[in-house]
Amino acid sequence: MSTPAENDPRQERVNIRKLPTGVPGLDEILGGGLPEYSFNIIAGAPGCGKTTLAHQFLFANATPQSPALYFTVLGEPAIKMLRYQQQFTFFDQSMVDASIRFVNLSQIVLNNDLGAVLEEIIKEVEASNAHIVVVDSFRTVVRRAQATSIEMELQGFIQRLALHLTSWQATTFLIGEYVESELRDNPVFTVADGLFWLYQSIERNSIVRKMQIMKLRGQESVPGLHTFRITDGGLQAFPRTFGLASDSTHVKGQRRLSSGIPEFDELLGGGIPEGDSVLMAGPSGSGKSVLASQFVAEGLRLGEPAVIAIFEEVPTEYTRRAATLGMDFTTPQNDGLLKIIYIRPLDLSVDETVHEVINAVKRIGAQRVVLDSLVGFEMALAPDFRHEFRESLYRMIVALTRLGVTVVSTVEVEENFNSMGLSNYAISFLSDDIVRLRYVSINGQLRKMLLVVKMRGSEHSIDMWEYKITSQGVVIGDRLRGYRGLTTGIPGPWSIESGQNSPNPRDDILPEAKSAHNE
Amino acid sequence: MRELAQQLLNLEAANQSASDSREHTAVRVCEKLRISLTRFVGPDGFASLMRRSLALARTEVPLLQSINVNSEGALEGIESLATETPQEQGEAAIAIARQLLTLLATFVGEPMTLRLVREAWPTSDE
Repeated sequence: MSTPAENDPRQERVNIRKLPTGVPGLDEILGGGLPEYSFNIIAGAPGCGKTTLAHQFLFANATPQSPALYFTVLGEPAIKMLRYQQQFTFFDQSMVDASIRFVNLSQIVLNNDLGAVLEEIIKEVEASNAHIVVVDSFRTVVRRAQATSIEMELQGFIQRLALHLTSWQATTFLIGEYVESELRDNPVFTVADGLFWLYQSIERNSIVRKMQIMKLRGQESVPGLHTFRITDGGLQAFPRTFGLASDSTHVKGQRRLSSGIPEFDELLGGGIPEGDSVLMAGPSGSGKSVLASQFVAEGLRLGEPAVIAIFEEVPTEYTRRAATLGMDFTTPQNDGLLKIIYIRPLDLSVDETVHEVINAVKRIGAQRVVLDSLVGFEMALAPDFRHEFRESLYRMIVALTRLGVTVVSTVEVEENFNSMGLSNYAISFLSDDIVRLRYVSINGQLRKMLLVVKMRGSEHSIDMWEYKITSQGVVIGDRLRGYRGLTTGIPGPWSIESGQNSPNPRDDILPEAKSAHNE
Repeated sequence: MRELAQQLLNLEAANQSASDSREHTAVRVCEKLRISLTRFVGPDGFASLMRRSLALARTEVPLLQSINVNSEGALEGIESLATETPQEQGEAAIAIARQLLTLLATFVGEPMTLRLVREAWPTSDE
């Protein structure tokens, strides 16, 4: 009485089939889908999407051979539920009755005890051979029972319901308006195999929705809170892993990417190492976006697709501005080599943004990505997400560079003339390479200077260089020699008398520095 | 699982004594599994599994429409099969036992199912 399977330890474990949830992103959060025959709870406050999530699951899985039963109990009347749910694109009217049946249990719950409710559910499930069962709202069933039953009776009811539905090979969702304080004492949470908690918070004018898989027996889900959005297509979840759970095979720095400005490439030690995250930090008007655009234009010239995520101006304006600098962004957009994403709905999460950028990167096979700018990005986020901006940004940069793309981010720095900060976000640790642009006051002129502050793992110029923004883009000028205090923005000449820090002070002093000193 | 079900029915038929000659072998197979599995899944759990198994078996053998599962999970009304041919009775018995074993294997896997079956027939390997 033994089989080969029994003798093979590799086949000891039962294979649990994972069902698609029908919610984009949620299968990844669950570790591949919902375990078949599991007994699950969807909890959360009214209006956070519980019923819609259940419907998406039904419409993704129910068939005439494996039908679904949707029990409604004293909550949203079925007729209204159908009226509203059919507005979603996943709702297929032809499936109603053929694959999905709605049964109202309100009267039985109102007039009878838990035994009668259980009997009715069992009767309907057995008669229809339902493979998917939803009770909405189960909280109502329990609340009614709590008023009339002793605690053990309620526990027994939940136990028998779970037993029967699982034995009947049904995958079950109980929907309820629970609050987290109930987690400890409510027997339904103990019995459940899966516990989905949906949250919704309003801050100022934005709504933030998040979900958490608090419990999932039999498989590893992605922990933590995941943002989700309710769209015409129903719920869409944005996993914290951004769909990049597997190890990256990309090796950074295998080649250098040209910035489109040969002189700038030289300062960078031969170009930007492929797969790096580069931060262009500087004040408004210093040419960060121009440098980023030239980086993209050079990639396009070499046949490397690119994605530009912009937050402060619309794509047409961005394209037009690039054209004034001699860069054609229209043709590559039409050819599918360039995607300019404009993101500014003001209630975004970082996860949504990254989801959109990553999708675009995958879609066109982008090798270069520009985020222009991080300040605009932060402003586009819902207030609730801003306090975790740094942490989210870190996850985004990691996610993008794992894809092997090279990311150039711009960040606006509030300029002062005492010191040279790298950014106002303390995010420089996120970047492999940092280029600082700044204004300097020289000889009565406000000039522009750039400095390669950091190139992780490679040599780079340590000099400060003047540059100009011309009709052809950024043009690197001369090295700024002979000044001290360049990083403050108000330099002065090196002291000729002391020869301070200058190996050959006389040679270092430029005529204009001398004249500035004499003024 | 059909072979295993047939094997269990044969075992029970061979071990049938004069005192239980009137009890259907399918009942005795299910009863043995009930005693063994109830310790594991509880009476309600076993009753649920039997109800499901019977429902699935009915789709194969319509004769089983007259048979029910009581609250303890025991088969009732199986004596109504006495008027059927031995072959039909055999098919009905195999269908119930097979569905129960298949259902169990669906939930806990085949190796675990075999272990549970071996608990109910500890001498079967001899």
